[in-house]
Amino acid sequence: MAILVAIWAAASEIARTPLAPGPIEVGRALLGGVRDGTLVRALVTSAVRLSIGYVVALALGVPLGTGLARSRFVKQSLGPVVLGLSSVPSICWLPLAILWFGLSEWAIQLVVVLGAALPVAVATENAVKHVPPSIEQAARTMGARGARLMLTVTLPAALPGILGGAKVGWTFALRSLMAGELLFVSGGLGQLLETGRDLGDTALVLAVVVVIVALGRASEVLLFARADRAIARRWGVEGA
Amino acid sequence: MFASAKDWLGGGLVASQSQPVLVPAGQAGSAIALEDVSLRVGAPEGEVEILRGASLRVAAGEFVCLLGPSGSGKSTILNLVAGLARPTSGRVLEGERPVSGPGPDRAVVFQDAALFPWLTLRNNIEFPLKLQGLKAGARAHRSEELLRLVHLWRFQDRYPHELSGGMRQRGAIARALAANPAVLLMDEPFAALDAQTREILQGEVERIWSATRKTVIFVTHNVREAVRLADRVVLMGTRPGRILHEETIDLPRPRAATDERVSVLASGIALRIASEVEKVVREEADDAWVAPGAHGGGDPRRHLGRGI
Repeated sequence: MAILVAIWAAASEIARTPLAPGPIEVGRALLGGVRDGTLVRALVTSAVRLSIGYVVALALGVPLGTGLARSRFVKQSLGPVVLGLSSVPSICWLPLAILWFGLSEWAIQLVVVLGAALPVAVATENAVKHVPPSIEQAARTMGARGARLMLTVTLPAALPGILGGAKVGWTFALRSLMAGELLFVSGGLGQLLETGRDLGDTALVLAVVVVIVALGRASEVLLFARADRAIARRWGVEGA
Repeated sequence: MFASAKDWLGGGLVASQSQPVLVPAGQAGSAIALEDVSLRVGAPEGEVEILRGASLRVAAGEFVCLLGPSGSGKSTILNLVAGLARPTSGRVLEGERPVSGPGPDRAVVFQDAALFPWLTLRNNIEFPLKLQGLKAGARAHRSEELLRLVHLWRFQDRYPHELSGGMRQRGAIARALAANPAVLLMDEPFAALDAQTREILQGEVERIWSATRKTVIFVTHNVREAVRLADRVVLMGTRPGRILHEETIDLPRPRAATDERVSVLASGIALRIASEVEKVVREEADDAWVAPGAHGGGDPRRHLGRGI
């Protein structure tokens, strides 16, 4: 890491152009953005959008995936739609979302939710399908049925796979959000990137990228590392 | 309070002489009957007959082993009694009542133990008690009793993957006994274990059965295991799966793993089903292979299904 930063500093020294700012300029832009609040406001705006969209995506994706795995009706009616939609980058929905909802939070959330819910649904479908039959049979012989069987046995048994999908979903949510904010002027880190481009401020653009990387890593550590450890402790393997 | 706890144990505690542990006597077994039961799957095209016209009566508290090569429908009978499968024709009865689905009165021990990986051993055993709405105190009381019964008290906080195969099977037996079932169904529970562990667990199963007097239906493809454990061995044949023959095992209990009489009876039975095994081998092999030992004295230690 330190070596990479050193190489970066050396390279920008050699290039000597405002298009390739070194770590010091980027650091200064970061500090400036924090001091005048633009970067902090943008980060908070994006993080709030991300959290809301992601929670909604999980709330839709897990039941949808479960339905795809367990109900023939759901599989036959929604299966092809889910497969088709998941091959479309969710940002392609932005124009439609703007036509429907105007330049509102709803439009951007639609993009985030669509981007994240589909990978979650696909992973959940797979995970539920691969729960060993004897696990559910055992629960049924103990008298577990219906929703209770699903909530206390099937979904916990599928948890490692669902967690894998949740991680992919988080990355997709972040990507969709950034793409949405770049194209759609309403605060957030994506828009700050666009501002940096308008001003020809390469250092600001890179500073925002640093913040996005930090946001991604922080969420990885805060949200998923603990879950991974819990899975490893119980199942004796790393989460999928 | 004390009286209700005693009711829950269904007859108090029985201490066996060889084992100083307390054994829950529990509810005694109930009778199981199959009346001309058939199962076909894959209709309409490519229909396969899994089981044909099976009739069997298991008395309350009896220990019956279903013995046969793979494809003889022995696990199918277990699933039918458990209510996990439904017969195409015929009736499955528990006592006087037809079996209409799975229920806690008929517990199953699976070959892979099927303990829930996200729960500790103790929580696995308490899971069926939770389903029955038992309070935490009563659950703890019951699970301690069961953990001690299967000698896993020290391992109560382990997750299943932290236990050996034999310990997992003992845990699964404890969980199956937790809700105090009338019938215990065991589907090749020791097939994946090494020979020594298997013999020890056979002894444990005999001890637990003697103490609880559950009705036990035990599926195996190991002749010696069947003879050592059963009051009665039910021999099954293949293509289609069906009941061939029954053999009462009239040996005193407890039976030792090394008992000569077990060996003698086992070789007799092995001879009798050798031709059935050969039939499977012939159909599964791609040439006219003849099972060694099919003519002239089978080895009772030899396994008859899996792995051939």
